[in-house]
Amino acid sequence: MKRRDLLQAGLYGVAIGATGLTRVPALLARTGQALATQGSAVPRILVVVELSGGNDGLNTVVPYGDDAYYRHRPKIGIRAASVRKIDSHFGFNPGMTGFERIYKDGKLAIVHGCGYPNPSFSHFTSMAYWHTAAPNRGDEFGWVGRTADAIAPQAPTNFLVNVDARQSLAVRSRVHTPLVFDDPNKFSRESFYQEREFFAQTPDTGNVENPSRRFLLDVARSAKSASALVKEAWAKYKSPVDYGINPMDLPKVAALIDAGMPTRLYYVSYRNNAFDTHVYQSDLHQRLLTYASDAVSAFMVDLERIGRANDVAVMIFSEFGRRVPENTSLGTDHGAANLMFVAGKKVKGGHFGKIPSLTQLDEGDNLVHTTDFRRVYATMISGWLGFQNSAAVLNGNFEVFDMFA
Amino acid sequence: MLRRLKWLALTTATVTIMAAYSAPAFAQKSGPVQWQNDLSPITASDWNYDFAAHLLERAGFGGTPEEIQALSRLTPAQAVRQLVNFRSIENPLPPFEHSGVHDPGLEPFPESRPAVTKMAKEKGEALGIKVKPDGDRPLQPVVNKFFYWLRASVLETQRVSYWWANRMVATRHPLEEKMALFWHGHFAVNESKVRDYRKMLGQLEVFHKHGSGSFRDLLIAEAQHPAMLSFLDAGVNVKGAPNENFAREIMELFSMGVGNYTEKDIREAARAFTGWNYVDLKFVVNKDQHDDGQKTFLGKTGNFDGVDVIDIILQQPVTARFLAGKIYRYFVRQDLSADQQEKLGAVLRNANYNLAALLETIFLSRDFYSPASVGTQIKSPVQLAISTFRKLGLKEAPGVPDFNIATGTLGQRLFSPPTVAGWAEGRSWITPGLLLERGNFIRDILFPDINFVPPDRANPSADIRIVADKIAAGLDISTATMPDRGSEGGLAEANMLADRDEDFNTRYGSFRGWQMAIERVKPIPRHAASINLTRIVVDAGFKTTTQVVDHFIYRFMRVPPPGEKRQALIAFLDRELGTNDVTVARTYMEDSLRLLLHLIMSEPEYQLS
Repeated sequence: MKRRDLLQAGLYGVAIGATGLTRVPALLARTGQALATQGSAVPRILVVVELSGGNDGLNTVVPYGDDAYYRHRPKIGIRAASVRKIDSHFGFNPGMTGFERIYKDGKLAIVHGCGYPNPSFSHFTSMAYWHTAAPNRGDEFGWVGRTADAIAPQAPTNFLVNVDARQSLAVRSRVHTPLVFDDPNKFSRESFYQEREFFAQTPDTGNVENPSRRFLLDVARSAKSASALVKEAWAKYKSPVDYGINPMDLPKVAALIDAGMPTRLYYVSYRNNAFDTHVYQSDLHQRLLTYASDAVSAFMVDLERIGRANDVAVMIFSEFGRRVPENTSLGTDHGAANLMFVAGKKVKGGHFGKIPSLTQLDEGDNLVHTTDFRRVYATMISGWLGFQNSAAVLNGNFEVFDMFA
Repeated sequence: MLRRLKWLALTTATVTIMAAYSAPAFAQKSGPVQWQNDLSPITASDWNYDFAAHLLERAGFGGTPEEIQALSRLTPAQAVRQLVNFRSIENPLPPFEHSGVHDPGLEPFPESRPAVTKMAKEKGEALGIKVKPDGDRPLQPVVNKFFYWLRASVLETQRVSYWWANRMVATRHPLEEKMALFWHGHFAVNESKVRDYRKMLGQLEVFHKHGSGSFRDLLIAEAQHPAMLSFLDAGVNVKGAPNENFAREIMELFSMGVGNYTEKDIREAARAFTGWNYVDLKFVVNKDQHDDGQKTFLGKTGNFDGVDVIDIILQQPVTARFLAGKIYRYFVRQDLSADQQEKLGAVLRNANYNLAALLETIFLSRDFYSPASVGTQIKSPVQLAISTFRKLGLKEAPGVPDFNIATGTLGQRLFSPPTVAGWAEGRSWITPGLLLERGNFIRDILFPDINFVPPDRANPSADIRIVADKIAAGLDISTATMPDRGSEGGLAEANMLADRDEDFNTRYGSFRGWQMAIERVKPIPRHAASINLTRIVVDAGFKTTTQVVDHFIYRFMRVPPPGEKRQALIAFLDRELGTNDVTVARTYMEDSLRLLLHLIMSEPEYQLS
């Protein structure tokens, strides 16, 4: 009984019988969703990857063809001989074999100069601007949450998944309760046989005055409806693909996609301000990039393996770039404009956006942004997810890149 | 089905009989709605058991009914004063017992493994270990030592954490620990960057010493503490080349909040802090690295040093507002009007940043006892754990489940805040995954895992276990440390990098470092919680299951579950015991009572304080 309820919740209410439940749902779910959305064969999925801490974009995609880069970074600038060259001007950080491979396969878009006016140099403030797509202002709800609200105002269950120890502001939604979990093995109520009947009761959300209590009851319902699905998906998932040292939770996303979860929006991150490289950054930064690029390229291979590569795009961002000149501690301080990446089989690879000047910096020696980051968000919302009115989500019109085949 | 109907009927009857005298225990009393935002003090005539319970929940970690009753017999002013001015109360607690893992030569500890091997290659020695003149892998002993200290510091930090948890459980100064926990989230330093448990312990001692005293003393002690200096890279902030990390976080996170200063103020403040550094566990000012030139900071000009900058920060009204607001949100509730924040800031400023004065005002205020404040706080994971232990009458944190892993899973591992901004508090503690985890944690306390393996002894990493097995089987280091190749997609770049240098083997160093560390770090005691719920029931002379359920709700929850849940709990206990007469079940009811408590503590309402 309980199990059947859960499965149905996971299927947008596509009714299925009580028999043959275990293996059929994944397929049924896919067809079910396809019927429920805009006629395309399978609804597209967006995976957002946050690199927290402020990734140093200049040492990620290195402008080795620009002398100014080496003038600003005499010590930590990456020599032309070491970079993984992708053209006569740019090359990837030596640690990024993964990205080099995707780029050469034509599946990686590099968007240059992403930022916003009057940039904040605070991790927390700038990240909040990126999370809410509301620079210098902020918003109660995150842009991914608002996208979910716009595309699926009926708030079907498990439309929005955030794999993390805590919920990101980016997924905060007016109508959806995002499914947030960290370890799928632990995402379940451990109970003894005698306790099951008690736990099977649906949490009551009647007339509750205490707002914290109301919140807890909402979360309790979400937990009840999703935990069995997630645990089962993870138990079934076995991948031979090596995601490297820090998989950034992408194997969990692959597991849920493979299990046919109705989720269209996933949010994961490289956690804990990892990219905040103020001192002796070269080894550390290269390692971080290796892990991130290993994970993303492995995810692409894995999606191909499970036959879902055409349905998924990955968007990667950080809250700011680093200051153009290196500091005296062989590191870099908080900066402004930065790169974004979009990866996927349907992505038209290459460079997007105007490359910011390394000689005309702002008064704080930062890159001046050339691309409002919300243009990339708009590209994902309308170009990828197919929701045309991205202006309603982003509170403004942002020109969309022609990024998808 | 028939059987089920039978016991439902039975319990309905029971409820009708018992309802008359069990109801009063339920009423979670707060003051009138009009008290919201009223900072004037409550009076002795307002004071009762529920108010005392609320105070102890927030100013401490809650307590047993006996402790709450003792507090309720005082006047509110006496009760608050006893909690805030705790130093007069005797509080015998053992000091931290070091394992003795730190060796000469480890300081200053290099920032990375590559930096260590580079240093060893250049100098012929590092970390107090000489490079082998000849033979295989001449740098291996140095690399082993590097990993030894990383591991030893992590393990010893876990012991410091247990020591602190035990203090929180046993202390007669609960507010001292609650404030220390607040400051740990405020001056949030992470062991994984500091990599020295001694500095972490030292920082905690600062929180204990200054936590409810003068904020100026605390801020200076923190700004000059090796843990903080190391965490925010102060050591590289030198004359002519200021590093802004330290100055920025001091203003943004520790004192004023974002938006109350300019980028230029940050650069000028960074100059004032130049030369601040530490040698091992001591703060030092490197005079030749200090920029003693003229600075203009927040509108004032002079040849400021770091303490001058802190004093100018403290002169800003926004500083008192920022801090008072944050303390209020930690102890009372998340929403706070600008007007209220202004008033609280004024209290702190007028008291010359004496934190005790602010705390007394908050805990005595009508606002603190208003419906908006009572039973609306979501417990932090540490608060959840410690208050559960205290309400169960435990004298120390159980060794099973592991306190660090449990609280870490729930999102608040001590000495490991997620970022320099600390923990977000409030609703951010709860996600669907974490809500279930909270119930699972309770189960692990009430029914300790028989297969428990101490994480400070057994290595959780499969990689290292495999290396250990292969070395023990007599394989050479290269073969033993070769990772198993993935079949499809190949091996990730990161996994190929690890075995490329012949001067040393990182994987072996990691294994050997672990081995050396567990040899020297004392084990964490692993007794399970000693719980006797039967005694509570017997001592109180309860006769019916309804009385038991009502008492457990009263004893353990500040916000009771809805009526139908209470009925279901009574029905559950009836079924488990096979009777509603607990006097009959006296000899065998412990397991059933624990199941009952697991259900109660898994309720969403149990998360509320």
